[in-house]
Amino acid sequence: MDIGVIVKAALDVNVLRSEADGRISIENIPLVLSEYDRNAIYEASKISESTGGKVYIYSLLTWGPMDRKMRDFENVIREALALGGEEAFVVADKSIHYSEPMFTSEVLSRLIKKFGSPKLILSGEASTDMTSSTVAPYLAAKLNYNIVTYVKEMSLKNGYIEVLRDADEKLERLKIPLPSVVSVTGEINSPKLPTLIQIRRAFRKPLHRLELSDIDLSPVFSRYEDYRVVTIKRKNILLEDESLENVADKLIDHLIQEGVLKI
Amino acid sequence: MKVLAVLDNPKYIPDIHGFLEKAGFSESTLYAVSNFDIPDGFDKVIRVDDVSSDVLVRMGDELDGFDIYIAPHTKKSLEALSYYAGYRGIPIATEIIDYIVEEKKIVRNILSGRGIVSYRVATPIALTIAPGKFKGSISRTPEVIHNDVKPTPSLISIEEKSFGGVDIENAEVVVGVGRGFRDKDDLNIAFELAKILGGEVGCSRPIAADYHWLDEDRWIGISGKKVRGKLYIAIGVSGAPQHIMAANDTRVIVAVNKDKNAPIFEYADYGVVADLYKFIPIFIDKLKRRLDV
Repeated sequence: MDIGVIVKAALDVNVLRSEADGRISIENIPLVLSEYDRNAIYEASKISESTGGKVYIYSLLTWGPMDRKMRDFENVIREALALGGEEAFVVADKSIHYSEPMFTSEVLSRLIKKFGSPKLILSGEASTDMTSSTVAPYLAAKLNYNIVTYVKEMSLKNGYIEVLRDADEKLERLKIPLPSVVSVTGEINSPKLPTLIQIRRAFRKPLHRLELSDIDLSPVFSRYEDYRVVTIKRKNILLEDESLENVADKLIDHLIQEGVLKI
Repeated sequence: MKVLAVLDNPKYIPDIHGFLEKAGFSESTLYAVSNFDIPDGFDKVIRVDDVSSDVLVRMGDELDGFDIYIAPHTKKSLEALSYYAGYRGIPIATEIIDYIVEEKKIVRNILSGRGIVSYRVATPIALTIAPGKFKGSISRTPEVIHNDVKPTPSLISIEEKSFGGVDIENAEVVVGVGRGFRDKDDLNIAFELAKILGGEVGCSRPIAADYHWLDEDRWIGISGKKVRGKLYIAIGVSGAPQHIMAANDTRVIVAVNKDKNAPIFEYADYGVVADLYKFIPIFIDKLKRRLDV
């Protein structure tokens, strides 16, 4: 059975760039494969190994400007192909500087319907940059597929899937008929790093780059919202002394002063 | 204004009421869809078996016409609300942490808590509210109606999470352990420290997810638990952005790490660059003497 995985080239949260006025400069932050997407791709390739069928990768470049982000975006898609995807359909469009979940899922639903239409779509539980966790449910609604999120175990049965989903205070084992969109948590598996051979092979796998007009959408001319760095007012006091005994005493003194420790 | 709350856990009603009060909607018509009985706080309660997946869509046009659809940022409410919003074409803003009254803007975190964005929204809008950020109470006696609609996924069984009822999200003091610990048994000193301070032990992702030394209800992270007490002591924790975001609402953060370049020090009020195996026993000893325990 063919399986689709939606992936995101997310802003690298470890490489934050900002202006002097506190504005985050999105254009200067590199893009990386969103963390839990790895788990989704790995799970899809595990299932397809046992059932046959293809793993399709679908993505939209959600961060612009396109000329600054295209190289990172391609690397992310190649990585997704190296991790187990076999063919990728991606949209990159000059008009997009920021794509909100509603538009992203519209693009993905059109890509999926037009190319491959797999009946099972996997995604990570949330993207590492925006963490809205809404694209998978939005997409499911647009495709008229069933939805289940935060899945930490899944198995494909005949015409349905059985999952164990995180429901915060408990876990629920559920049966969901296909077609369905499933978002997975980081606990579902431990993806292996792609081997050199897999990485090399990824460059020969088909990667179809499309524009909005190819899926009958008009340019959006979106812009960024005003993102600001969080200024955390931490004291950053390093307690140093030759003697750890003295350090411990100093620390206790500070904690008493802060009112978080009562003697 | 007409507001519809989507609820899968009674714990978060004060959060929803708190947001509505702060945003000036406490006089609005308030409806709720919930999978538990609600005796107070809404004009009308539509009681269903389960709040998840496509249940709201399956309720048909009964839910049309609200200005604000609101839910706590819990996994099931979020799933049900965003599927509904996708179906109706309503924009959604999730995990709202604040509301700026003067500017009428909602605020949310981005980039693993390192960034923040605030913006105005137009109705109709769907919102999910981050737990613990708003507190309020609205009193209404609801009319209750039952609806036997069910979501498409069918429940096979409910399983308990493997934990002993630890609640680090509401602990005032949390001692966090990370990969600086070499062995599971060594975590005992963290538990001893937490006990002296009247707190709980939390951990970084590898300790729960990779090593399985502690259960996942102790995992501090954006996909795990968020701690927001008065004191967080991170021991041998390097400080991945996802971990820091989930601890950053704590009033005072202390970091103990032998690597002085560990990112955790940037986010700490007090840092101790030392081998935890040497420092923590001394710290415990001093605390015991000074606290007289």
